[in-house]
Amino acid sequence: MFASMTDANTTDANTDVIQGTLDMLILKTLSLRPLHGFGIARRVEQISGGVFKVNPGSLLTAMQRLERAGWLDSEWRQTENSRKAKFYTLTAEGRKQLTVETADWERRAGAIARLLEMEG
Amino acid sequence: MSLTALWRQLRYGLGGLLRRQAREQDVADEVAQYFEEAEAEWRERGLSAEEARRAARREGGSMAVARERASEYGWENGVTVFLDDLKFAARQLWKHKAFTVTAVLTLALGIGANTAIFTVVERVLLSPLPYNNADRLMLLKTYRSQLGRAIPRMTGPDAEDVRQQARSLEAVSLYSGGNLGIQLRDHATFTVVTMADANFAKVFALRPIAGRLYADADAKHAALVSERFARDNFGGAQAAVGQVLGVEGEPLEIVGVVGDGFDYPNGTQVWTAAPSVPESRSRTAFNYKAVALLREDAGLEGAETEFKTISQRLQATYAKENKGKEMVLQPLKEALTGDSRATLMFLWAAAGLILLIACVNVMHLQLVRSMERQRELAIRRALGSSRWRVMQPVFLESVLVALIGGAAGVLLAFPTVRVLVAMAPKELPRTSEIHLNGWVLGFALALSVMTAVVAAMVPAMRAAKVDPAEALKSDSSRGMVRKSAGLLRDGLVVAEVAATFVLAVGAGLLLRTMMTLNATDMGYETRQMLVVDADAPATKEADALRAVGTFNQLFADLKELPGVERVAGVMGLPTGGYGSNGYYEAHGGLPLDREHAPWANFTVASPGYFGAMGIPLKKGRDFAAEDTHESQMVAVISESAAKQSFGDADPVGKQIRCGLDSDKWMTVIGVVGDVRQDSPAERPGPALYMPMTQHPFYANQIHVVLRTAVKPLSLMTAVDARIAQVNPLIARRYTTMDAMVDKSVATERFRAALISLFAGVGRLLAMLGVYGTVSYAVAQRRFEFGVRMAFGAERGTILRSVLGHASRMACVGIVLGVALSVTLARMVQSMLVGVRPWDPVSLGMVAMLLLLTALTAALAPGWSATRVDPMVALRAE
Repeated sequence: MFASMTDANTTDANTDVIQGTLDMLILKTLSLRPLHGFGIARRVEQISGGVFKVNPGSLLTAMQRLERAGWLDSEWRQTENSRKAKFYTLTAEGRKQLTVETADWERRAGAIARLLEMEG
Repeated sequence: MSLTALWRQLRYGLGGLLRRQAREQDVADEVAQYFEEAEAEWRERGLSAEEARRAARREGGSMAVARERASEYGWENGVTVFLDDLKFAARQLWKHKAFTVTAVLTLALGIGANTAIFTVVERVLLSPLPYNNADRLMLLKTYRSQLGRAIPRMTGPDAEDVRQQARSLEAVSLYSGGNLGIQLRDHATFTVVTMADANFAKVFALRPIAGRLYADADAKHAALVSERFARDNFGGAQAAVGQVLGVEGEPLEIVGVVGDGFDYPNGTQVWTAAPSVPESRSRTAFNYKAVALLREDAGLEGAETEFKTISQRLQATYAKENKGKEMVLQPLKEALTGDSRATLMFLWAAAGLILLIACVNVMHLQLVRSMERQRELAIRRALGSSRWRVMQPVFLESVLVALIGGAAGVLLAFPTVRVLVAMAPKELPRTSEIHLNGWVLGFALALSVMTAVVAAMVPAMRAAKVDPAEALKSDSSRGMVRKSAGLLRDGLVVAEVAATFVLAVGAGLLLRTMMTLNATDMGYETRQMLVVDADAPATKEADALRAVGTFNQLFADLKELPGVERVAGVMGLPTGGYGSNGYYEAHGGLPLDREHAPWANFTVASPGYFGAMGIPLKKGRDFAAEDTHESQMVAVISESAAKQSFGDADPVGKQIRCGLDSDKWMTVIGVVGDVRQDSPAERPGPALYMPMTQHPFYANQIHVVLRTAVKPLSLMTAVDARIAQVNPLIARRYTTMDAMVDKSVATERFRAALISLFAGVGRLLAMLGVYGTVSYAVAQRRFEFGVRMAFGAERGTILRSVLGHASRMACVGIVLGVALSVTLARMVQSMLVGVRPWDPVSLGMVAMLLLLTALTAALAPGWSATRVDPMVALRAE
């Protein structure tokens, strides 16, 4: 499961897992400060040390989904180098969702880790 | 999903739909900006503009793909795709106008006919009666084991006992009445009058719109009138209250006015107060009709059980009078609509067949179209479209056609319903309530959708099953068609012919019935006869006798009018509104059969009636001026009455008596020919004729019959002036004998006309079906015909092969149709007169007609097949 995450070109093969995780990564990134689409992609890539590569089509679709869910707000405004870009901000609801998803993720990751240890 | 989340989805989605361009622009901008940022970053890292652009592409893929993916999000996109498909389907239909117009018209006919019939069925049979407590209203009837059926009447004492003993009934009202003359201050008018007791208002929970209801104490002094009657005769509801009107010579005060929605029974305009205790004390005279309101907590079954108990108790108490008598109750709606149910259901079934034929035709059209599209569909499948994606446009097209056809059908139904109501016999109840409404539109919509699904099913499934390799190989224009396709289309045509056959046989049988009825000898001469309904006010015997005198004078006066040949008066005119019948007793005749007492129609007539009507006098003499109120009571009997009671013996001089108004013995003075009393569909039966002078109480409400030398209605004004001159308070109405007889077969004519219409439509559609199939087959075999002609085939051979195809389909359809008709024949048996349901003449004629129809339809394509130019056909590829 995790392996497919590293391969950005085969995202279609396992979208549900990716999507779930992608949502969490976006929320986490935005919890630090508002960012535009490319900014989010770059940040996810940088912090994961290049493990995650985000494709713009999937990212922008995810942004729309999260916005409709009420977890993000969006607004067109100036970037530092004075270009217009659509900036996303985490809402209060989004912040709550992040906690939920983080907890959920940690629970699942812990379970998988325990399973792997048992086998090893 | 929470409500706010749902709302958010809806808001975004609708926003996306309404500002589709803005939304797309927004996504495009964002994607462009994303790549711009990416490029900017690469440039910052030291790449040239061109290299930065390429790096961004390498990393993020193509901008177009990203844009596509990002804008596909959201439920509104499903809608957009659907709308696009719909637009495509509409464009396809527009491009194939011949197909579209044929299919839409076909469906419009089918759906229009069904919607129209359903409108009538819904109002008459399905919708509740427009009265208060409609589902608790009951008609009380008397089941008589001697007759083997229930008659919708009660005797006074029986009804009273039921009223007192039945706990399951809240109120019971007795009523009687009919068309009567009403005397107003300065004129007289005919209208439907009902004498009803004060409980009537309780049963129907009436509330007057002006004045008050009448109570028990008002009996014989008060009347209620309808809003319409008040408006027509007094100018308004308030103005009518307090006015006086005369019914049968009795002055009654109008105490209240009832709103226009209520006209029970039979379009009553005037209700007069009758005493709660019925005047008739006989347990064998069924003088009343009775309605009751079921108690709210009592079910129909409980009431039925209670009625059984009461009936048994009455049978025990009145062993002689109540022998074999049982009180029953029937929901009022059922009682009102029962007789029309069979006719309406029959017409509905016929309309259903029409729809089936229309459906088959459309399915067939669709099939042909989908075959033409087979290559297109095969290519789509080969390119990887899912089955559903391939079926979807076929379905959508079909739904679109059906909806347009349905809409056209509803438009067609509006005038059709109006014609139906205008044509409907007066026996069809509740016609005034009939109109299109929500239920009917829902029915039409459901029908359209169902039609669409049915019509598209086979073609769509075939489209989905298309095997690309196979379909691309079989080239339809070369005549290399898979066998099953042709079989399926032929099967549809066969089904169509069979259904049309059934309709046409039904039409044939009913038309022959009509012909029989029209040609039936009524036993009297219907032509050249003016009929006047005349109602002279009378209450006491002296008044009635005076009225008879007046009438006799009137007959003499009217005879003087130019153009009038003979004049007479009668109570009990055949097909007329008044009349009486019952058992009678004969003295010195055949031994009496206790179980089957002799029964006859009773008619009261003036001297010269038989001559005026053209009823032949077989023996003895007619009534004469010498037969007065004081002289010996006399009677004339019909031939079958003579046979029934006296066998071959001469009845003249024998004694008979009946319960019309006195139990005195009457001497038979003559024998006349039999007549058909109620309609041509009826057998001529026994009748007793009695002179007006000796039965004055039955002689003030009569028909005056005038045998004329000129067109009967042309004498109307002259006759009317003469009657008004004699006594303006005689209420009068005019018609002709022909019109009355005509009206008596209105139901039969209604059925015959409608089913003939349906059969005509069915035949047209079947013709279209045959034409379509054959011309399609010819088009496909063009190449084959070309080859055959090139090798020297005769034109006749080719034409024969095309016509052979058509006649084979027709014959199989006809055989199926015969089988179906014989199976269904029992359904119509009760509607036929003078013709058996499996009448070989009808079957044979219809079979010939359909075969000819099929051959005619195949002639044009057959002709075009013989015109194939071999060179052109072979070069076509």
